[in-house]
Amino acid sequence: MNPDLPVTFQNVSKRYTQRDEDFLACRNLNFSVAEGETIAIVGETGCGKSTAMQMLLGLQQPSEGRVQVLGCDPFKEFDALRGQVGIVFQTDRLLPWRTASQNIQFGLQVLRIPKARRRRIAGEWLERLGLSQFADAYPHQLSGGMRQRVAIARTFAIEPRVLLADEAFSALDEITASVIRVDLLRLVREQRTTTIFITHSVPEAAEVAERVLVFGRPGQVVKEVNVRDLSSREEAAAEIRIGLQMARAESRRCETSPT
Amino acid sequence: MAVPRALRERWRSQSALVLDLVLIAVVWQVSTYFLPPIVAPGLSAIGRALLDIFIEPDLRIHLIYTSLRVLVSLLGAFIIGTAVGLMMGGSDWFRDYMRPLLNLMQGIPALSWIVFAVIWFTEVEVRIAFIILMVTIPTFALQVDSAVRGVNLDFIQLAQAFRASRMQRYAMVLLPAIVPAIISVWSVNLGNAIRVAVVAELIGATTGVGFQLLNAQAVLDMAAAIAWTLSLVLVLFFYQGIIMMIERRLLAWRPKGEQA
Ligand SMILES: Nc1ncnc2c1ncn2[C@@H]1O[C@H](COP(=O)(O)OP(=O)(O)OP(=O)(O)O)[C@@H](O)[C@H]1O
Ligand SMILES: [Mg+2]
Repeated sequence: MNPDLPVTFQNVSKRYTQRDEDFLACRNLNFSVAEGETIAIVGETGCGKSTAMQMLLGLQQPSEGRVQVLGCDPFKEFDALRGQVGIVFQTDRLLPWRTASQNIQFGLQVLRIPKARRRRIAGEWLERLGLSQFADAYPHQLSGGMRQRVAIARTFAIEPRVLLADEAFSALDEITASVIRVDLLRLVREQRTTTIFITHSVPEAAEVAERVLVFGRPGQVVKEVNVRDLSSREEAAAEIRIGLQMARAESRRCETSPT
Repeated sequence: MAVPRALRERWRSQSALVLDLVLIAVVWQVSTYFLPPIVAPGLSAIGRALLDIFIEPDLRIHLIYTSLRVLVSLLGAFIIGTAVGLMMGGSDWFRDYMRPLLNLMQGIPALSWIVFAVIWFTEVEVRIAFIILMVTIPTFALQVDSAVRGVNLDFIQLAQAFRASRMQRYAMVLLPAIVPAIISVWSVNLGNAIRVAVVAELIGATTGVGFQLLNAQAVLDMAAAIAWTLSLVLVLFFYQGIIMMIERRLLAWRPKGEQA
């Protein structure tokens, strides 16, 4: 596997131990993401998608194998990746005591960027996302869609080289979700950010990604769909569905077979 | 002319208190007609005594003494208690050792602390400070600990995902998140501190409201006793007013319905 790629997972397994019981969340997970590429990870609930992202962020350590992000071990070289990896969560996680502008400045503050510059950057992002009038509004004064936009601005303000979006739209209603999805995709393309979308939605994966990884349980890639090689989004969606069926059959086989 | 809504709401929240006070005053004044003045002095006598406390420098100084003792000791308790609470919130084993200790301290009556203080310390100010500290530190520490534990894990993970340092996590997430809890424990401890401060002043002190209450008892001056008590209540209200002002500033971000 090419170590120059921004994200690589090499034979990664993750075991959680709870009350002396081992639980395998990821097994022999292999994948990589190329510079500027947009991929989506699709899989049933509990198949270890978020666990993989936790390892990518360096918040969890793999039990076996190796995770590399921008040439670093995200767990052991935690500080080296400060400001390099951005994440958009399922819920906005805006700090309720900060205004929209102050929330956008959160990551910049972590990077110790001077106040005046922080403010200016936040202002620019508010404007780009059409939220200029709401700079001084507190999160509870904003709608769900506006809040998620602020969260997206907070992530992009640090200009991350790698972006994760873990179910970033699933807490929103369908119309708002599609509008914000377009916003986010536009930003990803403009900034040429290496991006991983995690989603339950097959159409969403087919729409946003150049390549889709279908995860099985425990976390592993059971099928890879190259959206660009296919003639249409519909065809990609069909391929992803086949992958999900394979994953389901696989996990059923694991459950019934004695270990 | 329309009365502003805020003003109307304030009147609604305060009107009960005003009516309560009027009711008490009426009942009191009526009972003075049936009881000897030594038991139930008239409202005017009490009013004059209360006014004297605020006007006469020789009397006022006692009120100031008690107010300052309470304030300084509470600030100390706040700093120590918050530090202990933050450490408990950050470390499971420290918490396991501290919790029983603090619960034990909370179970000790204020009177026992007074006895211990008299035996251990000779300096009156040290005694009073010690007693207030012992009574209020556990509340600060336990409340801060539980507030830290109650901080939304999503926010902590957010800070981690942005790779905030430990100090940044405290400054940007943890401390702002526990401000509401700190403010509410301040108002609880304020009442506690004033009550024990007065009791502590009964022993060996030659200044303070407790000392004056003891004097009033010695000469059976009921009007003075009531006036000093009321002056303490006014001090409490004054401090609570300050806390409310700080609260309004610090918690301006809260949705209107959640504000106290
Ligand atoms: N900290 C943890 N300790 C123990 N088990 C965990 C932990 N985190 C996750 N798990 C388990 O690992 C499995 C994978 O969880 P994970 O959150 O990665 O799934 P997911 O694919 O993101 O699911 P979803 O689509 O519902 O978000 C789950 O069965 C979960 O119970
Ligand atoms: Mg998940």
